[in-house]
Amino acid sequence: MSQSKMNRRDFLKITAVGVTALAGAQVIRRAKASEPTPASGRKWAMVIDQSLCNGCGYCVMACRAHNDISPEITWNPVLEAGQVGDKKIYLPRPCMQCSQAPCVDVCPVKASHYRPDGIVMMNYDRCIGCRYCEVACPYGARSFNWKAFTEQNPAVPEWGQPEVARRPRGVVEKCAFCYQRIDRGLTLGMTPGVDPDATPACVVVCPVGARFFGDLNDPESNVSKLLKARTSYRLRADMGTGPRVYYLSATEENA
Amino acid sequence: MPKLERLIIAVMFALLAAGITLVVAQAQTQQPPQPTNSLTGDSCVACHKDIYDTWQSGAHGQSLTDPVFAESWNAQGKPGACLVCHATGYDPATGSSEAEGVACTGCHSPIPPNHPTDNMPIDASPDLCGRCHSDPRFATENWKLSAHYQRSMTCSVCHDPHSAGMKSVAGAINTSADASGLCANCHKGVMQNFPTSKHAEAGVTCVNCHLGFNVGTTDVTDFFSAHKAPDHSFVPTLDTCNKCHTNQMHAPGESVAAAAIAIEESGGTPTPLPTPVATPIPLVTNQPVPVSPFGFAGLAGLLGVVGGMVLSPWLERLYRHLNNKEGRKK
Amino acid sequence: MKIRLKLSKLSPWLAWLIGMGVVVAAGVGAGLIVFWKGLSVTNLTDLIPWGLWITIDLSSIAVSAGAFSLCAAVYLLGLKRFQPVARTATFIGLIGYSMALLTLLMDIGRPDRFWHAVVYWNKHSLLWEVTMCVTLYLAVLALESMPIFAQFEWLKKRWPKLSGKMSHVHHYAPYLAVIGLGLSMLHQSSLGAVYGVLKARPFWYRPDVSVLFIISAVAGGMSLTVFASMLSARLTRRVSVDDSLLERVAYFIGWTLVLYLYFRFWDALSMTYTYTPGRTEGLQLLTRGPLSFNFWAGEILLGIVAPMVLLLYRPTRTSQVWRMLALLLVVGGVVAYRWDTNISGLMIVLTYLPGEPIVEYTHYFPSLIEVLSGAGVVGYGLLAFSLGVRYLRVVDHRAVEAHAEEKQLTEPATTD
Repeated sequence: MSQSKMNRRDFLKITAVGVTALAGAQVIRRAKASEPTPASGRKWAMVIDQSLCNGCGYCVMACRAHNDISPEITWNPVLEAGQVGDKKIYLPRPCMQCSQAPCVDVCPVKASHYRPDGIVMMNYDRCIGCRYCEVACPYGARSFNWKAFTEQNPAVPEWGQPEVARRPRGVVEKCAFCYQRIDRGLTLGMTPGVDPDATPACVVVCPVGARFFGDLNDPESNVSKLLKARTSYRLRADMGTGPRVYYLSATEENA
Repeated sequence: MPKLERLIIAVMFALLAAGITLVVAQAQTQQPPQPTNSLTGDSCVACHKDIYDTWQSGAHGQSLTDPVFAESWNAQGKPGACLVCHATGYDPATGSSEAEGVACTGCHSPIPPNHPTDNMPIDASPDLCGRCHSDPRFATENWKLSAHYQRSMTCSVCHDPHSAGMKSVAGAINTSADASGLCANCHKGVMQNFPTSKHAEAGVTCVNCHLGFNVGTTDVTDFFSAHKAPDHSFVPTLDTCNKCHTNQMHAPGESVAAAAIAIEESGGTPTPLPTPVATPIPLVTNQPVPVSPFGFAGLAGLLGVVGGMVLSPWLERLYRHLNNKEGRKK
Repeated sequence: MKIRLKLSKLSPWLAWLIGMGVVVAAGVGAGLIVFWKGLSVTNLTDLIPWGLWITIDLSSIAVSAGAFSLCAAVYLLGLKRFQPVARTATFIGLIGYSMALLTLLMDIGRPDRFWHAVVYWNKHSLLWEVTMCVTLYLAVLALESMPIFAQFEWLKKRWPKLSGKMSHVHHYAPYLAVIGLGLSMLHQSSLGAVYGVLKARPFWYRPDVSVLFIISAVAGGMSLTVFASMLSARLTRRVSVDDSLLERVAYFIGWTLVLYLYFRFWDALSMTYTYTPGRTEGLQLLTRGPLSFNFWAGEILLGIVAPMVLLLYRPTRTSQVWRMLALLLVVGGVVAYRWDTNISGLMIVLTYLPGEPIVEYTHYFPSLIEVLSGAGVVGYGLLAFSLGVRYLRVVDHRAVEAHAEEKQLTEPATTD
């Protein structure tokens, strides 16, 4: 009898310790997860003014150089989008960094995942190259590396220097809002969207200043002010993907 | 213990202690790079070799060694005033320079103490380039008159600051012998109509009227002598037109043909093709690629062979039935 | 003269083995090229990233569905007399799933990272769920197949204890059947849902794709099992089958096809109403466009209607030749359905520029390497099945009955 009592006491002790340990582990895990990254609390957005864009493609070259992209792949193509009056209108299309990204939902290994600041990140070490995200993206923003890119990048060093590693053959890649520039800029105390070194390369290089970048959570940022002042639209917003790239239309007056 | 033995043991122990200390101390002396003054302009090439190579092959890298300059400079007795621009960090008091040519620290200075953690500073505005390129002889003040400057464009929109040449956009320059390809890349709207104009037919390109280059000339040195830059206001004046059409001033008619012939004889440059927008969408058509009717027929034929083999008894019966109906005897 | 003599000495069996061996060897060679040079040797593009290999993968999994449906019938519905057919189906399932894995290994961009899906989870992803279910189900199939391998004479002689242990797994068949049923219901429909949840592709974006996938899989899987059994019985006298069993299964397949036709009919009809960019064009591709022969002749007429009639009409169902033909047509129809579903959705390129979405088209035809490696995988499947028929007696209905008798002698009376 006393033996079973001892056993029950021991059992209770062990259970109590175990539960506490589990709870403690959960607390620690949550605490670690909420460790502030340089960019948490922000909501990055890009605004592209189509009345200014002349289709020069500088953004394509700068992106190619800073992210070491193969000439066969374009993360940010410039598309023709009709005309206003007799002026041709162009539409540069980076990754929309959707807030309800189909690519994040479908990736079987969570290589495509959200960052707290809204950027849809790719973990190139995890990607198995199944291309489901490529099939699921409504904007065709993803490119698969059918070949390894081993040659000299023609855009380097004229348009910039690579800031991220080259992706290997067999993974899907896409624009990531130059998170490397944002993160680095924030640790050095710069403001993304204002300081060129903390802003995506495509925004910095645009010769006519048609691209803007900033934090939508900051009502004083350039993008917040722009979106308040002018009507904007997003691509296929009806699909509910919640894109983070806003376009300012070209009209007869401002084209 | 005899003294000699003690000594030997002591020496061995001392060597061991020294050796361990040496190893530990060496491991510890791997400190981060020393702050301040350790990075000089010469250290850039170690990490930025490709920029260095581009720079070396261009005008900035060769501004001191260029033969035209060297000859002229030597002839004038190597005046120090030239080195203010043709070398970097020229100190008139000592007569020495930090580096030859327009080197890294000529534009990227001061070097921050913990580069590469901190970026190299760069002033992208025309003021930095203007430190050398604003000599009155360059006549580049007219850049400030241009619409480009007024729309906050910088020199580096068109010029690669390292190679001191023009920027190249995916074949834009390749389609044109001169810089007009770069103009066409941004000014696509203009390029819709210009190629069919008479000027284009005659071989006139953007740089002839808007920068004042002679028609048919692609060699920049042919146009200007040292220190003279083309007119960067990009605004053609009456002088521009008169370069070719002098004879037509106040005398229209026959002279039109004469002007055209004169230009065509001087060569002219082909009009650059407008650069296509960077839209690599492969293999898209507006109707589905049809399958040839022969393809369908072939597939049906294959199925027909199999089906026919299975259905052959009934087909034969049907055939005989039809024949009987016609009254033919079996 | 000498060569001709040698050839005439070649038994059909040997000729078949050599033939399949050549196909498999070509496939292996092509597969090695794929691993070495990467997917640039295929005709896949960023617009059509899934092509022939995915179709083979989907089809292999579909025609392996006989395993779960027949095992569920035998062990969960108590239809014990179908056990011999279930045995064949389980073996076909094992081969089919291994074919699917081989094809997938070639198709993913990083074959060295194939294990990532099992370690790194994304519970929201249907493809993750499919991967997990397929992996687990392959284990279930392997266990369910152990009694089959245990019957291998060589194994029985060499390692009788191991053979005995493997045979004993049969005791757990009901539990394995339950697990297999659950896993299969999940992933067979999920394979359809992989397409059905993509809002970006209006032609695919509907909930009944998963239903169509599982119904066609059940029909195709059982058809392949019965067809393979009948073909093996015709080709060699070593194999004997109980035709009445197969006829009953064929009858059930006939009714499954009725259900399938019903769903397909409403699925297609519902897409004809009101113009929806992307969806209407997708249907037109199937009904009028480049895929129309595939669809009308391959999928509907010969894939569903003809076999349905043949299998429900007793005189044709009881005839060996007609039944085999009907079953082969069903399998062909299931493969055609998967090819059409995959390619039609990808051929439609919907613009995302502002304004009404404009529909453009792209096209795809597999490259030689894709065809060779795909053929190699199919050849491996056929070869493996042939070897199973020959050495493991997977189609021999007598073998199972004999084994059952043995068991009854050695074990006390169990539930029947």
